[in-house]
Parts: sequence; C-alpha cells; structure tokens
Amino acid sequence: MSHEPEVPRKRYELEDTGFDEVPRKYRKYYRRWGGESDELAGNEVLCPVCKVVVRSNREVREGDRIYCMACMTRLRVVRVDGRLEGHVEY
Amino acid sequence: MSGPAEHDPHALTPEAFRAEVHSFEFWFGAVQGYLADRAYGHRVDAKDAAPEGADRDRLVTALCNYCVGETAALEGAGGLIEVAPNRPTKIFLSTQAVDEGRHLEVLIHRLRELGVEDPEAEIARRANPSLLAFKRRLLELVKGGDWNAALFAQNVILEAMEFAVFHQHAAEADPITREVLEGIIKDERRHIGFGENELGRRIKADPGIRGHLALVRRELDALVLETFEEALASLGAPASAREDLGRSYRQTVERLGFA
Ligand SMILES: [Fe+2]
Ligand SMILES: [Fe+2]
Ligand SMILES: [Zn+2]
Repeated sequence: MSHEPEVPRKRYELEDTGFDEVPRKYRKYYRRWGGESDELAGNEVLCPVCKVVVRSNREVREGDRIYCMACMTRLRVVRVDGRLEGHVEY
Repeated sequence: MSGPAEHDPHALTPEAFRAEVHSFEFWFGAVQGYLADRAYGHRVDAKDAAPEGADRDRLVTALCNYCVGETAALEGAGGLIEVAPNRPTKIFLSTQAVDEGRHLEVLIHRLRELGVEDPEAEIARRANPSLLAFKRRLLELVKGGDWNAALFAQNVILEAMEFAVFHQHAAEADPITREVLEGIIKDERRHIGFGENELGRRIKADPGIRGHLALVRRELDALVLETFEEALASLGAPASAREDLGRSYRQTVERLGFA
C-alpha cells in the first residue's frame, strides 16, 4: 500500500559486522546500534524493543515489514517526521 | 549474492518467522555465537580488575539482588512451561529456563570470584524485601496457571527493568562483570521480546485482558522498580540512569496499550 512513486529500490550488499546474537546465516541482517549519534542507512531500521539495527538487502520503504530476530519482533516501517522508524506489529 | 543460499529473514511469513525464532535450533545457533569461547560468562584470559573496599561491597549487594531476580525468572520460566498454551511456546520457555539457570550460575560464580565464600547465605542476607515480595507473587501467579498475568510479571515487568539495569551497570562495571552482564543482556533480548510479542498478540485478540494486566502492573511494578533504582543508586549511577530505567519499561507497557 505504498504511495511512493515506483522508483526501483536501491540494493545493498550486506556484510557480517560481528553481530553474534543470531545464528550465523542471519548475522549480516543485524548490527549493533551505536546510540543516538548512529546514523542509519537507507536499508536500516532500529528495533524499538531491543535497540538492535535491523538491515535489509534493499532500501526500506514505508509500509515494509521486517523482523528483528534478536528479540523476535515483527516491525512495520513508518515515516515519522521525515524519518523511517520501525513500529512493533504484534 | 542471492538465490537459495540466501537466508533472508525478512522474506519469511509471520508464522514461519515465529516458528523459527521460538525453536531450540534457533536458540542453539544464537548462543553459540557469544558463549562458545567463554567460561562462566567471560573470556578465560580476561584480567580481573574488580573494585575494592566499599565499592566491592556494593557490587556484591547488586549481584546478590540480580541473583534473586534470576532465581525468580528461573523458577517462573520453568513453572510456566506447564501453563503455556501450546507446544512451540513450551519449547521457547525451555530455552528461557536454560538461559536463566545460566544467569544464576555465572552471577554466583562472579560472587565467588569477588571473595564471597557462601553466596547462598550472602544472597539471603542482602536480598531486597521488595524483590522477594515480587518473587513470591510471581510464583503464585505461575502456580495459579494465569498465563497472561505471570508472563506479564516476569517477561515484561521483571525483565524489562533487569534489561535496563544490566545495561546501565555494564557501562561502568569492571571488565569481567561487564562481560558477564553483556552476555546476560543478549539472552534477555529474547525474553523481553517474547513476552511483549506474546502478550501483544493476546491483547490484540482480546483487549479485555488489558484490565486484568493493569491490576498486576499496579501491584507489582513498583516493587521491581524500587529494587533496581536502589541498586543503581548504590552503584553510584547518575539520576539520569535511574530515569532511563523507568523509561524503557514505560515504553514497553505503552506499546502494549497501557497509558
Ligand atoms: Fe535472566
Ligand atoms: Fe530472562
Ligand atoms: Zn529487537
């Protein structure tokens, strides 16, 4: 249900950054958060439950659903004050 | 790199995601990442720079109270296996019970490293009465088979606050205590997330549950908050750290629809 123009999404090559709280095959999809000054990339959303950065191999857009495996939470991407945020969806 | 070798978690259906993260298999792959090279929660070659004198005494008091909290969580998680509504949830709780047993073990081990000869007696001597009252009530809820209330008390009230306290404490702790706490925090991520999401789904299906949980909250959250605020204060944490503790807990209950 996106109202964005159909611009193709940017792709991201993910690398394992040492996040060790999920099984190896999923590690590159997460990274540790560096606090308020940590700038998130276009493919990243902060998990509000456990404060881990959730990453996708493509640009995230409003309305997307992604998962935080570190705390088992489903997130819906929403735009708040021009910034993308992850909101918990039970 | 894409194709069948790609394990994109975001491509899972909600059902497949839940089945995956609640499994013992997932738990095993997760804990291997941060526990495989540790002994009692810290690197074997880590040098101990534990505090001395009054600071050491305050650290011992804090760790003793963490032991009370972890014992409550261990007995609670174990007891909840019988109460849990379905098999995947029972399996997840078995992993949580193992985690809590490990937390208790590494904390007791840390107490011994700090020179406490009889941790059991020391925990009894230093336990905060409010936390003991919380533990008694939690176990009553578990025994009464009240899944929603017990899960709320344990995985939301107790664990959300523990999570915040361990974070605060780890930031200024000696290196070994910090490693021990950081390992516990990694486990607690799963527990707080499990509790919030399970209750979130149940409240969504039956909003009437919220009234019952509000009563549990009114009765119990002050007991835990008080204990951990005291622990942080005695560890010399600034007032802002104590505010953070309350804030992260409040954010959780707000997401669950409590004002
Ligand atoms: Fe624990
Ligand atoms: Fe826990
Ligand atoms: Zn999370």
